[in-house]
Amino acid sequence: MSWQLRRATPADLDAIMVLEVSEFANDAWSRDMMSAEIVDNHGYYLVAHPVGKPTQVKAYAGLRAPLRSGQADIQTIAVAPDARRRGIGRALMYALMIEARDRGAEELFLEVRDDNPAAQRLYDTLGFERIAVRPNYYQPDGVDAIVMRLTIPEPQLSPAVGGMSQLAIIPRAAPANRSLPNNTTEPLVLGIETSCDETGIGIVRGNRLLANVISSSMDEHARYGGVVPEVAARAHLEAMQPALEQALREARIELHEIDAIAVTSGPGLAGALMVGVAAAKALAVATEKPLYAVNHLVGHVGADVLRDDGTEIDLPTIALLVSGGHTSLLHVRDLVSDVELLGETIDDAAGEAFDKVARLLGLPYPGGPQIDRVAAAGNPRAIRFPRGLSQAKDMEKHRYDFSFSGLKTAVARWVEREQDAGTDFSIADVAASFREAVVDILLTKAVAACVDRGVPRLLLGGGVVANARVRELAQQWCDAAGIQLRIPPLSLCTDNGAMIAALGAQLVMAGKQPSTLSFSADSSLPVTQIQAR
Amino acid sequence: MLLAIDTSAGTSVAIVDAQGVVHAECDSTDSRTHAEVVGDFIYRCLADAQLAVTDLTGVVAGMGPGPFTGLRVGIVAARVFAFGASLPLFRVVTHDAIALGETAPVLIATDARRKEFSWSTYEGTDDAGLPIRQAGPALAPAAELATHVPHFDHYALREAATVRAAHLATLAHLMKANGREFAGEGAIYLRSPDVTLAAGPKRVTA
Repeated sequence: MSWQLRRATPADLDAIMVLEVSEFANDAWSRDMMSAEIVDNHGYYLVAHPVGKPTQVKAYAGLRAPLRSGQADIQTIAVAPDARRRGIGRALMYALMIEARDRGAEELFLEVRDDNPAAQRLYDTLGFERIAVRPNYYQPDGVDAIVMRLTIPEPQLSPAVGGMSQLAIIPRAAPANRSLPNNTTEPLVLGIETSCDETGIGIVRGNRLLANVISSSMDEHARYGGVVPEVAARAHLEAMQPALEQALREARIELHEIDAIAVTSGPGLAGALMVGVAAAKALAVATEKPLYAVNHLVGHVGADVLRDDGTEIDLPTIALLVSGGHTSLLHVRDLVSDVELLGETIDDAAGEAFDKVARLLGLPYPGGPQIDRVAAAGNPRAIRFPRGLSQAKDMEKHRYDFSFSGLKTAVARWVEREQDAGTDFSIADVAASFREAVVDILLTKAVAACVDRGVPRLLLGGGVVANARVRELAQQWCDAAGIQLRIPPLSLCTDNGAMIAALGAQLVMAGKQPSTLSFSADSSLPVTQIQAR
Repeated sequence: MLLAIDTSAGTSVAIVDAQGVVHAECDSTDSRTHAEVVGDFIYRCLADAQLAVTDLTGVVAGMGPGPFTGLRVGIVAARVFAFGASLPLFRVVTHDAIALGETAPVLIATDARRKEFSWSTYEGTDDAGLPIRQAGPALAPAAELATHVPHFDHYALREAATVRAAHLATLAHLMKANGREFAGEGAIYLRSPDVTLAAGPKRVTA
């Protein structure tokens, strides 16, 4: 039989008094006294009844806890003989203890008859301690009262968990299991990525790709002309479980076979990241697997280990990551321990510039593929658009930084001037010239970094790499400068969970400790922080 | 033995058995740390109750209403935990859990941010003792609750600043025992994303 607790009302008085009189034969409260107690503001009385039979009151208990007094008393508790040994007394006590805590009580007192060992055992197990004896307290029987007290500690505060309070009556938990995965040579890792508009679930075994499922909300953003964070976050919530299921099917594995879980903890859109972080933590606890919180940008570099062409990533390397959310230049000496940020965009990301220029040319979202398509028929040298942060004066402070805001405005000015003049200008030429300016800036800075750092290797990552002209020019420039160019497969260049799994696997193979369960979704996680704790 | 998760206000996780005994409970009133604490809370509830994942019989998700950024953290955690542990998921309307145990007519109001409340009204209980929702959940400006809620004066206002997952678990146990229908698939956001359709590019020259 299931039981239900509810707040007592004056309508329960008859049922309560029946119990009161039978249970406390010689010292029962009067009906008036009980009636006053039930409705008193400082009191809190509960009754227990079988589910579906709210009038069959089989137990009741009362608390007296004036707000902010710091102390509270268990006034009474009674369980009908035919309802005992089913945990009802304990449930009532728990409920009253929690209410006392909620009312700000620091200490909870009760008195129990010396000749009632069953009740004393219950209170002992709930954490009450004996503090005094009142001789001959229960009259006319002349039985002693044992006074018991439960100390409700201050809510425990920790810097990582502001305002967290834990119920006083439960023991301290052991620290979360942070042991290394069983398999550290070729670990099976599931990766979760939700930093922008792609819900990505990937599964790798060591450096081998087993599954890469991407559920994109791009279509939902199209009519808004750009990624709407709240729309993206809602889509992550809906896509998460189906994507997990599909990835496991594709990899032909069962969840319990996984050695570790990896998740993007940042950088990215805060609300979107939170969905992945919460999902990963819940999955880690449910499956009792170690969890690795990893950096999204380093994940883009990590994607390269999944190439199946037999070549291996050579380190150190310069990495250029270009997407709708990022434009970053990195010096990667070690994937799991040494990544340096050389520069990044000081305003718009390159992908964002593509979207904005596409919009002013009347092309749909996302802009990258559209610009690429239209530009194919255009002359990249038709219009000389400015290259941001590329003048001599910029070299000291912004040698490796990018700026695309000025370029976007320059394109807009040019188009408006031609439109105002009624000129029949070539959209293809504008698109081609704009794209050329972007690619020019990106590659000038990337190649300069390779030369300056004496690192003849460049790795490209991020969604903008899908742009054919970016890849074509990168190859030409790198060939000319004697730089080895590496571009991961395109399906691994856009945001995906496989790259997160791959970086997680690298961390496992390097013997890195798993993250705790309390890391946050960090929208501005610095690239130097490869793993969040 | 149900694990319940609710992040419609702060973060609350609890484990409650079919007799209504709360075996463990972790709460935070902080409305900005859901994703940080939710994993620890689940882990600690299991450890505190000295239970293994396999001791659980189901997972309860508080579907809201609640401010969206936090709300979906608990929902995704509950869904994925249930998936990871191969347990059934029970979705409940958070307000229903707050109203549980109330017998007089009540108006449940929870903070929806932006000077608005999410509200629901309840009156009477069904034969399982579950409060019967009369209206809501819906949104109303905090200052105009009286004009938005039908028969406002009829209800005792219960402004709930916190939500306890233990109540959700208890409610789910009762709904399950009595064959009641659980809440729908979707998060109860009550508010659309803040977006406006692109109005075409803005001129940059005068």
